[in-house]
Amino acid sequence: MVAKCQVISLCRSLLRAGRKYPDYNIREYTKQRTLDGFRMNGNLTDQSKVNEVYAEGKEQLEVVERVLKVYLAYPPKTKNIMELNVQ
Amino acid sequence: MASLSTSSLSFKAPSIQSTRTSQVLRKPLSFKPISFGCFQSSKNLRLQISCAAKPETVQKVSDIVREQLALSADTALTAESKFSALGADSLDTVEIVMALEEKFNISVEEADAQNITTIQEAADLIEDLAQKKPAA
Repeated sequence: MVAKCQVISLCRSLLRAGRKYPDYNIREYTKQRTLDGFRMNGNLTDQSKVNEVYAEGKEQLEVVERVLKVYLAYPPKTKNIMELNVQ
Repeated sequence: MASLSTSSLSFKAPSIQSTRTSQVLRKPLSFKPISFGCFQSSKNLRLQISCAAKPETVQKVSDIVREQLALSADTALTAESKFSALGADSLDTVEIVMALEEKFNISVEEADAQNITTIQEAADLIEDLAQKKPAA
């Protein structure tokens, strides 16, 4: 039985984890993907389906955190052009 | 409250005292009922928080909310506007809180984040956190 606050909490953790990436592309991707994923499944009524996608979300959170460690070991040397402020 | 001018205090207070107008920090003398002893700037700021969050903060929060929810320029955003009234669901609220965290460089706790429902609350929380950070 997954409660709404747990879902919101999972969303927040995913967003927070995604923010830590040094790579601009991955940061933006994780943010957009989590929001899309949660919105797509936002209207589910069947509790077993909700549990299913919640479990998927949890797995993805683990993946994000694990991969983050790898990426932190090799940060990009130059800033991505999208991150430079428009002058 | 926080804007007592030294001229109104006709005590033996030397009139040389802070003629520079820092609208936030006026050194209140010990006649005030809240007597903390020596006043430091952080205590004065706390006085101000109990009144309201700074208008610039509220304005910045409103801008972020407007951007996140893609509101048109003519929707009126007051400090008391509830996010749900503006058409935000809980995910939108999460996004807004994240955007605020990034913008103000603060970290909002889980419990605090659940309780934010209006712009005013968000601004107050931000000020609270921004205050605690340098004090830490």
